[in-house]
Amino acid sequence: MEKLNDNQPTSISEETSEKGMTRRQVIKTGATAGAIALVGGFPYISSAQNKTLTIVRGTHFIPEAQEIAKQQAEEFGKQAGVKVNADFLNWPDLQPKIGAALQAGGLDVVELWPIQNHLYANNLVDMTDEAEEVAARGGGYEEYILNSGHVGGRYLGIPHGTSAGTIAYRISAFKQAGVRNADNGALLDMTWDDYFAIAKETKKMGMPFGQALGHSSGDPIGFCYPYMWSSGALEVADDGKTVLFDTPTFEYAMNKFIQAWKDGYDETGTSWDDSSNNRAFLSGKICSTFNGSSIYYATKKKDDGGAMQADTHHMLMPKGTAGRYYEVGTNTMAILKNSQNIDVAKEYLKWWFQPENHYKWWSVQEGYQLHHVKNLSNDPTWNKDPKMSIFKEVPKFGRLRGFSGDPNEKAGLAASKYIIVDTFAKAVQSGDAKDALKWGQRQLERVYR
Amino acid sequence: MHPSLQSFSPQRMSSSSIRFDNFLDRESSLGVLLMLPGLSILAVFLAYPFALGIWLSLTDTRIGMPGEYIGLWNYIDLLEDDIFHQTAWNTMIYALVTVPFKAILGLGLALVLNNHIRFSNPIRAFVMLPWIVPTALSSLGWFMIFDPVFSPISWLLIQMGLIESNINFLGDQVIAVTAICWVNIWRGIPFFGISILAGLQAVPHELHEQAAIDGANKYHRFMNVTFPHIKGIIMITSLLSIIWTFADFQLIYILTKGGPANQTHIFGTYAYQVGMSATEIGMGAAITLYMFPILAFFSILLLRYMRKSA
Repeated sequence: MEKLNDNQPTSISEETSEKGMTRRQVIKTGATAGAIALVGGFPYISSAQNKTLTIVRGTHFIPEAQEIAKQQAEEFGKQAGVKVNADFLNWPDLQPKIGAALQAGGLDVVELWPIQNHLYANNLVDMTDEAEEVAARGGGYEEYILNSGHVGGRYLGIPHGTSAGTIAYRISAFKQAGVRNADNGALLDMTWDDYFAIAKETKKMGMPFGQALGHSSGDPIGFCYPYMWSSGALEVADDGKTVLFDTPTFEYAMNKFIQAWKDGYDETGTSWDDSSNNRAFLSGKICSTFNGSSIYYATKKKDDGGAMQADTHHMLMPKGTAGRYYEVGTNTMAILKNSQNIDVAKEYLKWWFQPENHYKWWSVQEGYQLHHVKNLSNDPTWNKDPKMSIFKEVPKFGRLRGFSGDPNEKAGLAASKYIIVDTFAKAVQSGDAKDALKWGQRQLERVYR
Repeated sequence: MHPSLQSFSPQRMSSSSIRFDNFLDRESSLGVLLMLPGLSILAVFLAYPFALGIWLSLTDTRIGMPGEYIGLWNYIDLLEDDIFHQTAWNTMIYALVTVPFKAILGLGLALVLNNHIRFSNPIRAFVMLPWIVPTALSSLGWFMIFDPVFSPISWLLIQMGLIESNINFLGDQVIAVTAICWVNIWRGIPFFGISILAGLQAVPHELHEQAAIDGANKYHRFMNVTFPHIKGIIMITSLLSIIWTFADFQLIYILTKGGPANQTHIFGTYAYQVGMSATEIGMGAAITLYMFPILAFFSILLLRYMRKSA
């Protein structure tokens, strides 16, 4: 084969581009540019950028509070000279986003739902000093914060309370159904039997009750866990292993719920999410549901001369044979250990929890967000509207997911798989409480083995 | 001359340059070089995650926690999981029931579009919309249409006096499965339609004319002239559609998130729930890898068919 000399064109190099470069030159130039980009280009680009603090929180059902949280993040960014990205995610999307960040990075500050501080304990920055400083400044944490805010005696983030839910109802519909003292929800102290009897009446009037039983992390869990507890059943005993879910008392209570679902509820609730009941209530399709005060808050914004606001009230969750319960734990603002900006993130949280900043965000919610420190329990916010006073009572009846075991990763797993919610959905779909509870028991035993 | 530059004599530079040029001149070495970027992308974004997924499925890894090797325990454990059984069943229904509908309706669409009609090009572009619009966006549209309280379909049927209360589109097992299959069919028909249309346009006119002269009616011409020409395309699009439908996620995640009571979970959504929400990423990986043999079977079938056709 003939040997090529330096200048001898080859079949490949003879083909030139429009700019007169040979293919060989194009390859060489491209390879050189690529090498420069790989070796020197990317570090240069990243070092030239400012630091970016990324905050991810759950979306706010009180839009004004979300706007304030966003503005405050921007304000901190200006003061600290960093770029701040604050995202507010759909509640069910929050946990997968945090999970992905724990594996791959990219987030600095995250809002954790109750017991997620236990779930991600190994991956969160210890903020005990900062959290205790917030508590000391506010006269100490409320009891529900003390019960749920720390993991093994350490605060892995700063607790900031939670959006409590209770029963919202239309006064006129309750009155029509013959409920005494319907004008004043604070005086309504019902059993589940009482409550379901009203549902039956209002459904006859064309205004049933509504309850979300779909795969959504707020209202379905907020209703199903307390109903289970109020009938004496438990996800797990205090040994953390024995599942006490499929009990005769719960089967009895579940049968009552199945009957009530047919007689008094909007039966499309099996596919409802956290916002479906808000929309149904505000459009007059249902007259009672378990929800945060966001429904009542939205009635104030309605352009109806205040009619729906005047007709809406709150009452405590009904009692079962084993008492009255709520699922209550605190949310926490935490920093991921794999954050590249831990110092900036700490500064941000210390800044945001300063009373003037935090109060601005908390007070605009007018009681939707339960307060975290005792000094706020006497805040004028609670006296502005008597219809909101019920929410202050909620923590008294609070339990955490996983009760009476520890609020650990197994409780998180059971909630993430919607086992208890799905038991309710199965029961009302099939009408077979026994079978649904057996399914739930089996699933919980798989989790707590 | 600086001492460090002495080693770069013109003689040596030119000989190394020649060697490099020769290397580039050889088709075989240049081919490998040009393949390297693509190969690297495949290795980093396909082979590595796949291998990592297999490894994770053999461990008890949780998000943010190191795991330990547990062999096939995750796979064995899933066999005893009621929700997994339901998920596997749902996936089979979802993938295998929807494809025949998509193929038949897509064929019908293609036959209609193959006729000379006015504005045929805008119409063809219009019918492609369900396929072109991002699935997340179109699924949100269907989510609103299927809204349990404000569904326009329920409203219309109530106004017409045909039903008394809202249809529980996404909250009743049978209706929910039907609804998600319906959306999948709606999304998939244009893919079949346009693919088959391309095949129809390649059928020589002369064959139709000869068959007509020989007395074949429309049905016989379709069965004996048209169908043999488009059989291959229908086969390939069906296999592709089965593979894509098996691996679906967005549509169901947006419409139901696997609910009610897990009745619409498919492998992708259940793996996401277990792996990402419940943090059991080892178990989540095992769920997705149960799909692998099924997808591999259909992929091999597809490749064998394509090779045979070629």
